[in-house]
Amino acid sequence: MFLAWKEIKYSKLRFSLIIGVVALVAWLVFLLSGLAFGLASVNRLAIDQFDANAIALTDESDLSLTQSKLLIKDAKTVTGDKTAYLGQSSGVVTSDNLDGKVSVSILGMEHDSFIMPKVVEGKAFTDEGEVLADISMQKKGTEIGDELNISSSDKKLKVVGFVENGKYGTLPVLYMSIPDWQELKFGQSDPTDNGLVSAVIIRDTDALNQTPAKAVKISNMADFIEKIPGYSAQNLTFSIMIGFLFIITAFVIGIFIYVLTMQKTATFGVLKAQGMTTGFLSKMVISQTFILAALGVLIGLGLTFVTAALLPDAAPFMLNDLNLVIYGVVLVAVAVIGALFSVASIAKIDPLKAIGGE
Amino acid sequence: MTLLSLDNVSKTYGSGHTEVKALKNMDFSVEPGEFVAVIGPSGSGKSTFLSIAGGLLTPSTGTVKINNQSFAGLKKKELAKLRFKELGFILQSSNLVPFLTVKDQLILVDKVQKKNLSKKKKEDLLESLDIIKLKDKYPKDLSGGERQRVAIARALYNEPSVILADEPTASLDTNRAYEVVKILAKETKDNQTATIMVTHDTRLLDHCDKVYEMNDGVLKQIR
Ligand SMILES: Nc1ncnc2c1ncn2[C@@H]1O[C@H](COP(=O)(O)OP(=O)(O)OP(=O)(O)O)[C@@H](O)[C@H]1O
Ligand SMILES: [Mg+2]
Repeated sequence: MFLAWKEIKYSKLRFSLIIGVVALVAWLVFLLSGLAFGLASVNRLAIDQFDANAIALTDESDLSLTQSKLLIKDAKTVTGDKTAYLGQSSGVVTSDNLDGKVSVSILGMEHDSFIMPKVVEGKAFTDEGEVLADISMQKKGTEIGDELNISSSDKKLKVVGFVENGKYGTLPVLYMSIPDWQELKFGQSDPTDNGLVSAVIIRDTDALNQTPAKAVKISNMADFIEKIPGYSAQNLTFSIMIGFLFIITAFVIGIFIYVLTMQKTATFGVLKAQGMTTGFLSKMVISQTFILAALGVLIGLGLTFVTAALLPDAAPFMLNDLNLVIYGVVLVAVAVIGALFSVASIAKIDPLKAIGGE
Repeated sequence: MTLLSLDNVSKTYGSGHTEVKALKNMDFSVEPGEFVAVIGPSGSGKSTFLSIAGGLLTPSTGTVKINNQSFAGLKKKELAKLRFKELGFILQSSNLVPFLTVKDQLILVDKVQKKNLSKKKKEDLLESLDIIKLKDKYPKDLSGGERQRVAIARALYNEPSVILADEPTASLDTNRAYEVVKILAKETKDNQTATIMVTHDTRLLDHCDKVYEMNDGVLKQIR
């Protein structure tokens, strides 16, 4: 640490540049992870709010909520500590207070079921024709009491309250009663056993352990979320980008440290002649890399927080403390791995060169 | 008491028609407080001799002992440890770590041996070499003579048995060269170390107790 620090203090400019490079890469990694996490969240937030273990869909739907049309007769065969019917579709909303059209995700549910979201403003819907909207709709101009028009339907829905985190498939959610949803999706409502819902949401740790009607398939929530359209492809894209950034970091730092080590060959040769071991000198280079990478990551983290504060609300950007810590640690680790390549060259430095040679 | 001894040491570089016999059956020893000079023409084997004496090069035959401890059969790491403990090196130039101040050059030694010499001892050493006022300077800000005095301080700092100096005055003008050799002679006496200095400059030999001449791999005492 002693030698490592002293050299950093002596060659401030040179080492500042390296720290700068690490900081920029770290910044990019953190921003990407924030976007990845943000995008992943807006795909699934409304589902996460259910705090459920499993979902029952039709077997033929292949875990697609949109494709699943479950007869209430079959839905009734699903059991669990708590169960709730869910209807899902999508639509485009217009209203006097909204400027332009807004795409929404529509979720239908019974107002007394456990999957009802927490209302942060106004009240929950109880009657038909009433809806709850995600708070982001408020920012777009919607107010409590507004009448919403849904595309391809002449039905009018009245906003009675707002909820937070009402996002599904990256769209804001309108929560409404099952009959309203049925009307929007099928043109008419049908409360009998022959009526349809999209799914049954189950809160029960042992939910998979049952035999419902033949048309029904029960899956873990996690498996279902993976199948949300675009969700896993999106995550994979970000993972690949971040993964490559880690590899690039290892190379960039490795090359920097290698060049610096080569420049110190004469000094290291003399130190070796004086009896300092390859291990001692390697420790110096590694601890130096550690200091540089750690400082760079901290600066990158600072830049990230500043950026997060400046980003427009519309950007699906969400920082996750655990992700930041993990990515930060991995960045430092790959930088150190990059520096390990220099250890071999330190081992090769011949102290003999110190005597009688230039 | 002998601090360093070379017993029937030979060194052959290469083999076949590229074979060079750089040292031929050499016997050599130094006692505490002795300041020995080695002169000789270029290519005669002086650096080879110092490298072998310093444990940086393994002789083809013969044994090297420092403080009665033989180099033979030591692992790389043990050899490095022995060098660190028993030897001080003073080289032509670039002997100092460029990014350490004069004071830090000595502190580095503390860090390696994990024991701190007292501050007083450090200051006394710098005082005796008349470089105490330079203690916060970097090597690039020192003159050639000052740099060599710092190198001497560094070499003396871990109280070695033997100091090996390879052309320590090569980069200095005559006056400064005299000054440095005088200091080296004094420190050798004061600390009862043994100092071996390879030099081209025959004018510096006045301060030495013994003078050897190397010729084609054969070492002969001439004074
Ligand atoms: N690594 C090596 N491989 C082959 N031959 C070598 C090697 N090192 C030195 N020699 C040869 O050994 C002989 C002695 O070399 P050495 O460097 O010891 O001479 P020197 O007395 O220090 O010369 P100078 O005064 O020029 O520094 C020379 O002939 C040299 O060419
Ligand atoms: Mg030489």
